[in-house]
Amino acid sequence: MFELSTNVATPKQLRQGDYSAYDALYLGDFSCPDYPKNFSADPDLLAGGVDMVKSQGKKCYLRLYAVPSNHDLPWVRKVVEKALSLPFDAFEVHNLGLLLMLREMGCNKPIHLGVFGNLYTDATARLVKDYGVTRVYPNPELSLKEAIYIRDHTPIEVLMPIHGKIPLVVSETCFIVEHSDKAVEGDCKFSCSQDHWLTRTKGEWSLKDTGRMTLSGSDLCMLEHVDELAAARLGAFYVQSHGEDVDYAARVGEIYRDALTRAFAGEPQRDLSPQLEALKGLAKMGLCNGYYYESAGRRYFGEN
Amino acid sequence: MVMMMAPGGTKEMCRMVLDEGADAVYVGVIGWSRRGSEHELTDDDIREVIDYADRLGKEVRVVVNTLPSSTEVPMFLDRIAMYASWGAKGFMISDVGCMRLVKEMLPDVAIHTSVGCGITNHRDVQFLSDIGATYVVLPYRLSVEEIAEMKAKTGVGIEVFLFKTPSGGKICPGKCMMSSYFSYRHWLDDNGKDHFFGSASRGGDCLRICQTNWEFEVNDVSFREGMTIKTNPALWLDELPAYLAAGVDCLKVPGRDRSDILVRDIVRFYRRVLDVIAESDAPDLAPFRPELETFRQRWVVERGHRDRRLISEAEREAMRAERAAFRNSARPAAAAQ
Repeated sequence: MFELSTNVATPKQLRQGDYSAYDALYLGDFSCPDYPKNFSADPDLLAGGVDMVKSQGKKCYLRLYAVPSNHDLPWVRKVVEKALSLPFDAFEVHNLGLLLMLREMGCNKPIHLGVFGNLYTDATARLVKDYGVTRVYPNPELSLKEAIYIRDHTPIEVLMPIHGKIPLVVSETCFIVEHSDKAVEGDCKFSCSQDHWLTRTKGEWSLKDTGRMTLSGSDLCMLEHVDELAAARLGAFYVQSHGEDVDYAARVGEIYRDALTRAFAGEPQRDLSPQLEALKGLAKMGLCNGYYYESAGRRYFGEN
Repeated sequence: MVMMMAPGGTKEMCRMVLDEGADAVYVGVIGWSRRGSEHELTDDDIREVIDYADRLGKEVRVVVNTLPSSTEVPMFLDRIAMYASWGAKGFMISDVGCMRLVKEMLPDVAIHTSVGCGITNHRDVQFLSDIGATYVVLPYRLSVEEIAEMKAKTGVGIEVFLFKTPSGGKICPGKCMMSSYFSYRHWLDDNGKDHFFGSASRGGDCLRICQTNWEFEVNDVSFREGMTIKTNPALWLDELPAYLAAGVDCLKVPGRDRSDILVRDIVRFYRRVLDVIAESDAPDLAPFRPELETFRQRWVVERGHRDRRLISEAEREAMRAERAAFRNSARPAAAAQ
């Protein structure tokens, strides 16, 4: 059938959220090691996190920090050491150095290549597969056709984001701290818990900023295309909920669970208008189709 | 001996920088490097530049640092084989899968990783070395200590830009897709080559979206206006002896998209600086500082022109796409009437 997954950064989000629509959860915020109680950065949180996810009958993947510098490597190693002793189902890496480190540490768990792994070709998919990668998140700039080509010609499983803001930039410094009067480096006051947006002064372009990651202003939406995704035999789907509240993941997950279940059962979709309206209501700057149909990421084609 | 590698955004620029003391020149292939075609060379031009460099006992590096489509990979390899047969001594590559294939096909060529590889630590460097990189280019903002650690732990050739970002801001390039999110178009040419307007990673220009005027809001309240998203890097000087002592093997002059004259003057300048450093254990670089400052100012002026042009291109493309979308949505309604 299919797997629907999303991301959860902290134990609090895990406790408070309703993830019943999901088959698997990616634990951790890969963009910011300073994010309070981040699974990606604190080995002491991992056992409780994986237990809670497993008790709900879901797969549990651990996200590793996306842009580690030399001095980050020792603490990332400690996170990996702890996680290797726990029943995580996979690691997600965005960094080739960490991929090498996992192999050197004798990692025998599956590895997923994350969105900032810069995967554009089947040649690269074959290379990382040789290092233990079993699932890749194609770069968001790739079209649906290109992602399917990589799956078929590597071959390898591809994770297809189907809803949520598109990760566009990741940085090793915090943009919010750099531009805030109150927060200072080393004591960020958790400013990213507030809603930050970048808007072009002329008004027509917008981006959401979470400090170390910048996301698309519009929410990628593939609800009208779930039949196409099922027909293409894609099986791993992802709702990107970084920077959103827990209700977002619950509501979006519920809508896609229903639509994907119908698509994979070969049943006709019901009228999706109410669901689309609900998704539009959750998207401050509207919906888009990303790069799936070979256009600028912010374009929205709807059913056409 | 450190290698100074200079940009060849035009055939004339190639000739100038080689004459002024660059050890190698790097040239982009149309559609295959992270710049617009006006700063890339035709195959005929590349062959001429290789011949010219060869006569001077110097080398050419061919920039093929797009992240191609999977279906383009065979074409990518064919072109590299062709340039190598003409005498190109090395290639700058971003796609790690392609990098491994090139190393298998041509084990003796030098492979420079492109800044698009987004290196952040010494294990990244080791990974790239393991798959065939001869030189790894490091991002603009690493410290001397970090560079020394990378060299000591991997032994691989270290390449740095004569260009540095003074403070934070977003990582760029290698981990940025802002340009193509707003303005992007894909088409195939007659040879089956993919072209991607608006994506530097895929062979178009980065449209410098980060350099337009942005407003930063928190909870719908504006707290910064008229800001850019990314800090711009600047030419540097004083750290040069320390960088060389840290084991840097290759210095890369930026500027394929700058004027021939500015790049010529910068190469001439750094050649003199490197010669002074080579002749002394305690080189005095103070006399060079005023001249560096003038280069920085000339650079900023040229960059401003380029940024404004590219942002305008992004706006035009966005409007074109909006008009096309409007026409498409209006068509069924018109047909029904």
